[in-house]
Amino acid sequence: MEIALRKLARYTETYLVIIIAFLSILIAAKNPSFLTLENMFDLLKSYSFFGVMSIGVLMVLISGGIDISFAAVATVAEYLVALFMMRIGGNIFSAFAVAALVGSVLGYINGLLVNRFRIPPIIATIATMNAYYGLLIFATGGKWIYDLPIWFSDFAEIQLFTIHTANDSTYGLSIITMIWFAVMVAGILILRFTMLGRSIYAIGGDRKSALRVGLNVRRAEEFVYSFMGLLAGIAGVIQALLVQTVAPNSIVGKELNIIAAVVLGGASLTGGKGSVFGAFLGLVLLAIVKNGMTLMAIPPVWYEFFVGCVILLSVGITSYKGKLEKRRTATILVKA
Amino acid sequence: MMKKVLAGLVLAAGIFGLTQGAFAQAAKGKYEIATVVKITGIPWFNRLEVGVKKAGVDLGINTYQLGPSDADPAQQVKMVEDLINKGVSAICITPNDAKALEPAFAKAKAKGIIVITHESPDQRGKDYDIEMIDNVKFARHFWDELVKSMGTSGKYAIFVGGLTVPLHNLWADEGLKYAKEKYPNLKLVSDRIPCGEDQELSKQTMLELLKTYPDIKGVIGFGSLGPLGAAQAIKEKGKVAQVSIVGTVLPAPAAKYLSDGSLRSGILWDPKDAGYAMTWVAKQLLDGKKITNGMEIPGLGKVTVEGDVIKVDAWIDITKANASSFGF
Repeated sequence: MEIALRKLARYTETYLVIIIAFLSILIAAKNPSFLTLENMFDLLKSYSFFGVMSIGVLMVLISGGIDISFAAVATVAEYLVALFMMRIGGNIFSAFAVAALVGSVLGYINGLLVNRFRIPPIIATIATMNAYYGLLIFATGGKWIYDLPIWFSDFAEIQLFTIHTANDSTYGLSIITMIWFAVMVAGILILRFTMLGRSIYAIGGDRKSALRVGLNVRRAEEFVYSFMGLLAGIAGVIQALLVQTVAPNSIVGKELNIIAAVVLGGASLTGGKGSVFGAFLGLVLLAIVKNGMTLMAIPPVWYEFFVGCVILLSVGITSYKGKLEKRRTATILVKA
Repeated sequence: MMKKVLAGLVLAAGIFGLTQGAFAQAAKGKYEIATVVKITGIPWFNRLEVGVKKAGVDLGINTYQLGPSDADPAQQVKMVEDLINKGVSAICITPNDAKALEPAFAKAKAKGIIVITHESPDQRGKDYDIEMIDNVKFARHFWDELVKSMGTSGKYAIFVGGLTVPLHNLWADEGLKYAKEKYPNLKLVSDRIPCGEDQELSKQTMLELLKTYPDIKGVIGFGSLGPLGAAQAIKEKGKVAQVSIVGTVLPAPAAKYLSDGSLRSGILWDPKDAGYAMTWVAKQLLDGKKITNGMEIPGLGKVTVEGDVIKVDAWIDITKANASSFGF
């Protein structure tokens, strides 16, 4: 029992679960509708857009890189898909396919810049962010698209199962949430059970060693940025599904929130660390803090302050724990 | 790491700045009137540009519009300074930051360049500010419209674009004052919520409001996307009959929400009129004319002059019936 607990205490995820549970009890005590299935389903739907991208961000961070351009990639993909649907038509599958293709190509360019030219990822992706977004604004003049096809808005309404409430309204688990979950499963499979996934961790841990042991660093780096792009493309379609309006300036600016959520979930900005479950928890934490503030009727002027506090508190706990661990290993080394 | 991020951001800002150089060439002997907007490439200011161009054609002068790629005060100041160095006849501007522009306006004045602002009535250093609405009357109109569909009692919420957006908060202040006297039974559930420029966030916020205040009956939304997000949320929850939403919306994107009733009415002014009016006033001043009470701007109506603020009552009510007829 004690050993099991000690083992649990090593994981960032454990602390996140405790913080989330604590906050949930606090919010639910003030407003019981927080812990309803309906609220959970609503949140899971709203945050699918962030969730899908967070998995891509996670992989990039684990590999020791960073991507600032993914919101711009998502916007470009979203816009092109919207144009594709209006001009050519197609169905929901072709919409996702176009987005995935556009996203992967734009992501691959990032991968090339980072791997072949060895441009620091933050500079490379800030440059591509400006280029992608600037080109989009130039080409579109910032026009909004809001006459999306009926089949597109119909798809957004599909629910896996629907629950009828006493007062005649309904709610259910949205198909959009399932896309997020599918992406998470894919993320777990890739990271944990493939050579590619293990080499992503290895590169983030120590790039030189990874090269020396003969891992295919090039393939792995090109993969993480392309995959980030692919997921950004899919997220772009999700955003369009959620709001049914495509505005070129609606996604850009949210990238730091997503990176923060993933880091909150235990991914390290220096690479080599992070998990899908952690990224999920990081996002959940941010989501319930924001959700909880309205539900607890906290005045909106305090929103940002509380978000900042929760981030500090959670990152503080995990970093401090990391520091303790380091000290412990250090002592062992001395003894040896 | 943080240093890297900062360095990157600074670099990015620089890159953005470099791309802002393309000014139209001045035609010789003609007035050259430049309009600087808050941000380029969004529907609102695209529409404003239509008015700027129309004024150019109508008045036979050289007009054009430019603006930063994001709502950055520093970039806007830089643009104004470039225009001053270039020697334009007049600068019309919707300021991102009233204070930041004061030194640049002083330089313009020293060179005899006319400065006309819009949406910045308290701006220092301007020749005139033009408001397409009387802000107090405009604000009150939202509450009147809300009451028209939700009745004079019940719970409601206010969305603003941000807690520091001057006009949104001015409208909210004025409206709340008015409501206190005229509609004492309206009950505001929460302080104004800053989500009005983000449709996704507004939708999520509305869902949360429905859970926290199940008997909520109305929302007033300032910001072009907030009302749409709220409308989507009540549609999703089948509460269209229960909740009345009114707000500042662009007619074309709002049309579908107005037609299914999830949005009750929109109130706004046409940015095209603002673009036209700024240029028109600048031209009058360049001609040495004075702007006086009751003067008429072609197509917009009579003006009221209060000190250095010119007001035109040009708000439009956007309804199910007329939403698709505005052309923006």
